[in-house]
This record gives sequence, structure tokens and C-alpha cells, in this order.
Amino acid sequence: MTSGGARASVKFDAVQKSFGDVKVLEEFNLEVEPGEFLVLLGASGSGKTTALRILSGLETPSAGRVYIGDHDVTEMLPKYRDISMVFQSYALYPHKTVAENIGFPLKVKKLDKATMDAAILDAARQVQLEPLLDRYPRELSGGQRQRVALARAIIRRPLVFLMDEPLSNLDAKLRGHMRAELKHMQGTLGITTIYVTHDQIEAMTLAHRVAVLEKGVLQQLASPAEIYNDPANLFVAQFIGSPAMNVIHGALEGNKFMTNGTMVKTKVKGQVPQAIAGVRPEDCSVCEPSKGTLKGEIYTTELIGDHTLVTVNWGSDQIVVKAHKDFDGKQGDEVGVILPPENLYVFDETNGERIR
Amino acid sequence: MKNANIKFDLHNRSLFERMFEPPAVGKMAPVARVVVYSFLAIWSLFVLFPIYWVIITSFKDAAAVNQGPTYLPFLDFQPTLDAWRINFTADPYCDIAAIARQIYLLGHNSVVFLLSPVISIQPMEPQICKIYLAFTNSIVISIASTIFCVAVGSMAAYALARIQYRPKFGNIMIFVLLIVGVILTTTYAGVPWWMSSAVALALFFFLARSIGRHFKMSLGNGDILFWMISQRILPPIVVVVPLYVMFQAVQLLDTHIALILLYAVANLPIVVWLMHDFFANLPMELEESAQLDGATRFGIFWEIVMPLTRPGLAATTLLILVLNWNEYLFAVFLSTVKVQTMPIMVAAKNTGEKGVLWWEMCAVTVVMIIPVIIMSVLLTRFISKGVLLGAVKG
Repeated sequence: MTSGGARASVKFDAVQKSFGDVKVLEEFNLEVEPGEFLVLLGASGSGKTTALRILSGLETPSAGRVYIGDHDVTEMLPKYRDISMVFQSYALYPHKTVAENIGFPLKVKKLDKATMDAAILDAARQVQLEPLLDRYPRELSGGQRQRVALARAIIRRPLVFLMDEPLSNLDAKLRGHMRAELKHMQGTLGITTIYVTHDQIEAMTLAHRVAVLEKGVLQQLASPAEIYNDPANLFVAQFIGSPAMNVIHGALEGNKFMTNGTMVKTKVKGQVPQAIAGVRPEDCSVCEPSKGTLKGEIYTTELIGDHTLVTVNWGSDQIVVKAHKDFDGKQGDEVGVILPPENLYVFDETNGERIR
Repeated sequence: MKNANIKFDLHNRSLFERMFEPPAVGKMAPVARVVVYSFLAIWSLFVLFPIYWVIITSFKDAAAVNQGPTYLPFLDFQPTLDAWRINFTADPYCDIAAIARQIYLLGHNSVVFLLSPVISIQPMEPQICKIYLAFTNSIVISIASTIFCVAVGSMAAYALARIQYRPKFGNIMIFVLLIVGVILTTTYAGVPWWMSSAVALALFFFLARSIGRHFKMSLGNGDILFWMISQRILPPIVVVVPLYVMFQAVQLLDTHIALILLYAVANLPIVVWLMHDFFANLPMELEESAQLDGATRFGIFWEIVMPLTRPGLAATTLLILVLNWNEYLFAVFLSTVKVQTMPIMVAAKNTGEKGVLWWEMCAVTVVMIIPVIIMSVLLTRFISKGVLLGAVKG
């Protein structure tokens, strides 16, 4: 342990990256606070991993600068940046034992054996790996390998902690468990952490702030609650939330949203001939056909456990409603859907921007 | 802390244990086992018979060989040690002291060679019978050139697998021209070879930095790899005469260093080509992770990459070792007295006036086979699978 819990800020300043003709990052600006847990969220090919690799120094940006703390690290070699990274594949050294794997970052620093052993034990204790120190990676389960990778990353107390989809190779149950452990560990150590994932649940649960990326462009940078409650555009709105937000095609005329000959009241005003109304399944409700905002035919129902998902046909769109678990509508039944105006987001269909 | 899984673990076993571990026995049906083992037994006979034949022939005399095929010593023919005596003890210098002196001389002469540009000492002439000389020569030349070749070749292969090179076409032209310059000045102007090489090297760096950078056309890693392997497409006989002239010019004919360098260079393409494949198949994340952990490039190569490509390295080493051990063409051209190798000794038994002395040839061949068998047994133990297990995902 060289630097005890040093905290560093991270800054991407107009970073661009292209591989040949393919632009992976366009004018990427991002500032991460010291000690923050920031999640880079995006689909595959959105440039999130490239951003992480640029920060680690494994890739060099085509343009722009990268800062860690006050230092411009754009041209610095990875080994001088004092960061550690957990790879999606864990990247454990198969010919080294768990202890040797964990101790590797200290070994290359040529620390003396006693200090190293103490640090290895300490790091192993933090991820509950002490009984496995003499094993080889191939003798470990997926979750244990994940812990080794984590321990190897924390042993050095780096300035910045990078994680590239570290949980995506684990099964669902273990993933939930490791998620909680990760969050706890980051909270204890207080090391600035940048975490890349395509899983919006991981992003929502782990992050202090979430940065949503799409096609190399930062879509929104905000706290999980803000991202959920106040999405900046249609992409963010649809990416966050499960099931995804419903989209209804129509037109905004004043404070009315016209769709399929039906008028829905909205809180926003404007004249947009091609608009999309978005509403989350959990904000809608089903009712008698005559009482709802809209009236449609049930396409299917799915009992999830604590609730039932009801899919209703509406013109060319389908609306998913999170209904009570005792809902007993059948396929083909007519049903009414209530869309509360305060939870209706309106977007311009041409560019996906939110109309406020 | 030991655990129950330890028996699956290759790496915890010592070198000694690994060399003598029993082979894994699969659970086979009795009939299948009989069929498989009888097939294997027949095949073993096919493979082992020539070796048996060589061994018994070495204990025959001229009469026994010429009588026609006889197979069983004492029954078919009366074994004799004549062939062995002629080869190994008939000479006054054939004893343990001679071997010790020979080893000392090898050391002495290599120091002399290394210092030759600086001070002038005469290398000592070895006084030893031919077969011991050839045997030590073969051992020294093939091991030294294999180590050199595998070390240089695997580093080159690693660089080609991990670093993108874009050599400018102009720089390659400059390099070729400078080599021509070195050859011309050495052969016609009598400049010492090491001096002209040093000047050419300095000139190359200067010219590459000044003129070469203005060229547009460049090559890639694939081109370099192909160029390397293309050096093995021509039959070696094509280059033997130029090589002879070259080594004559630098006064290295009939020296160990000439054969060591030549064997290493000749086999370099094979090492690069084979090892490139092993390196390219290593997961990149391992090296990236080590890089982030602060390891140097050489440290990564040594600590992470080499242990993981050990099976490939062992196989490549064995292949090169055997190629060097058996090499005849270069050796016969470049050695006259001092650095004759075992293949030349074997060939020498095909005499002009007395015909082929099969019994003597077989005695030399037996001595030549033994080290290869030992090396194969030692090295194949490292050619084990599953080294990468547990590296990435699982």
C-alpha cells in the first residue's frame, strides 16, 4: 500500500478516437469528482470501453487531452498512471497462484517480501479470499476469480479504479451479490471508480452519477434518479428502466398530444408534427375500457410475481402496463389504459430530443 | 495452505517429478484395449526396428555385414567391438583427459575469438581424436545456436505479434544498399568486417532518420513475417557458395562461431513463424493487465508471456535442436578440421576406396542418436496442454 486512499479527479477534455474511418468517440467531455463512483452506460459499440481504455493508456486518443488529478496523462505510459483495472475476462495470470496474482502489482515495484505478504493478506481479507491463496485460477469458480481480480486491483490503492463490465461473466444471483460487495468496497476505500457496463440495473444501483453513451456521444450525465426521472432524450429514456419506456407515435399540438385520433393532455406545450410520447410501464394503469385515456385490445399478459405485465395494442404501437398481480384480463379483451399527464415525456421524433 | 485439488496441479510438481510421472490411463473396454495396444505394439516395432538394426550392425564385422541379413547377436552372428574400437579407442588421444582438455580448449578459443578484434592471441589447436572432437563440436554448436536462435526468434515473434511495424520502403532500400557497401569494402578494400559493419550501422540510423522518413510506401507485420519465412523457400545449396566466400572474407571458416551463427540465422524464420502463432493466441488482456500493474515490456515478456508459451517454446526448441544436430550441408562446406560435426563423421564412413563401412558408420550413428533421445524425453514433458486454463473467463 503506497498511497493510503488518495483520491484523484479524472477529466476527459474533448477526447476523440477513431479507428480508421470509424469514429468511436466524438468530442467526449467528462469530469469525474475525486472519490466518485461513475458508471459509463451504453450498448455495445457505444464507445464506453474505448473511453476507459483511453484513460488507462492502453489506447491513445486521436485528439483531446486526458487528466488524472492535475496531471495531463494523455501521453503517459499506462504503468506510470497509477490506475488499476478489472477486466471483463478477469485476466488472471494462470501460471501464478492467487497470492502471486494479487501480489503482482507490488512485485513489479520490487517491494520487500514481508510488506508484500502483509498487503496480500490484507487485500485477500477484504474480498474473503484468504483460504484460497495457494490455489491457481483454474481451480477457482467464476465468482472467486472475480474476487482475485478485485484484490489485485485494490492492493496497490491506485488513484483511479477502472472496471470493464466486471460482473457480466457471473450468473445472475452471484452478480447481485458481487454488486453489493463492490459498492460497499468502493464506499470503504473511497477510490475514484469508473465502471463500464451495458446493464442499466448495475448502473442505477452502483453509481453516484451515470454517464450514458451512444455512438460515441455523451447523452446525459446525471445521478441515477435524475436519469430515471428526467431523461434528456428518447435514447436515455428507453435505455433506462425495465421494462423499457413505452413509446406512442403522434403529434404535439399545443398542450395536447394527438395519437390515433385520441387526445392526451400533456404538461409541455409546442407544435411538433412528428412527436413521440413516452410513458413508463410502472406509471400507467389499466381500467374499464370506457374510463381510460386510451382504449385497446390486450395483446398478452405476463405474470411476473408481484405484478403482471399487460401489453396492449394501440395503433401500430404496443403499450406495456405494469398492473396488479391479480389482473385477470385475457388476450383479445378490450381494456382502458390511464396515462397520467405528469408522467408523460414528449420527444421530437426527428432528433429524439426531449420537449420541455 | 494445501487443498484437495492439488493433484490436478502440474505446476506444483518439481521438474524431476514431471519427468517421471506416469501417463494418464483412460478407462477403455478390454477388447478395445487389446486392439489399441496390439496396433501400438506393431507400430512400435516399425519405428524401433531401424534403431535396433543400427545398434546390432555396430557390433558386426565386415564379414557379418557382407554375409547378408542376420538379426540376432550370438545366434545369427558373433558380435564384436571392432567398429567401436576403431572409432573410439584406436587413437592415442582418446581418453578422459583428452575430453577434459577439449572442453577447456573450447572455452579458451571462444575467449580468444571474442577478444580477437582487440588483442591477438593464437587459438590453441585441439589434440584429440576425431570422433570426440566431432561430438563436442556437435553438442556445442547445436545447443549454442539453438539457444541463440530461440531467444532471438521468440523475441522477434513476440514483437511482431504485439507491435504494429510500418517499416518505410526507403529505409529497407537504404539497409540493403549499406549491406552491399559492407560486403564490397570488406572483400575489395580489405576493411575489417566489424569496422565496416559498425560504420554501416551508424550510417543506417543517420540516413533512416534523415532521408528514409520522407518515403511514403511502407510495409506491415504480415509482410515482415512472410519475408522471413520466404528465406526458407530457396534450397540452402543456393547460398552455400556465397556463404563460404563471406566467411572466408571475415576469416571465420572452420570456427564454431561461424556454424553457430549460420545455424541460428537459417532456423530463425522457423522459430519466428512458430512462436508468432503461440504469442498471437495469448489473450491480450493478460499483458494489458500486467502493463497497468506497472510491469515493463521485458518484464511482461519474461514473467507472463514466456511461462504461458512454454509448451510451444519446448516444441520449437526441440525441433530446432534436432535440425541443428542433423545439419550436414553447411557443416561440410564451412568446416575442414577443427569444427567437423557428427553428420560429417557419419558420412565419412562412406569411403571411396573401401566402400561403405556400415559397421563403423552404425557405431557413430548410435552415439549420435543418444543425445537426441535424451533431449526429446526431457523436453516433451514440457509440451503439456492446459497452461492457459483459468486465464480468461471460464
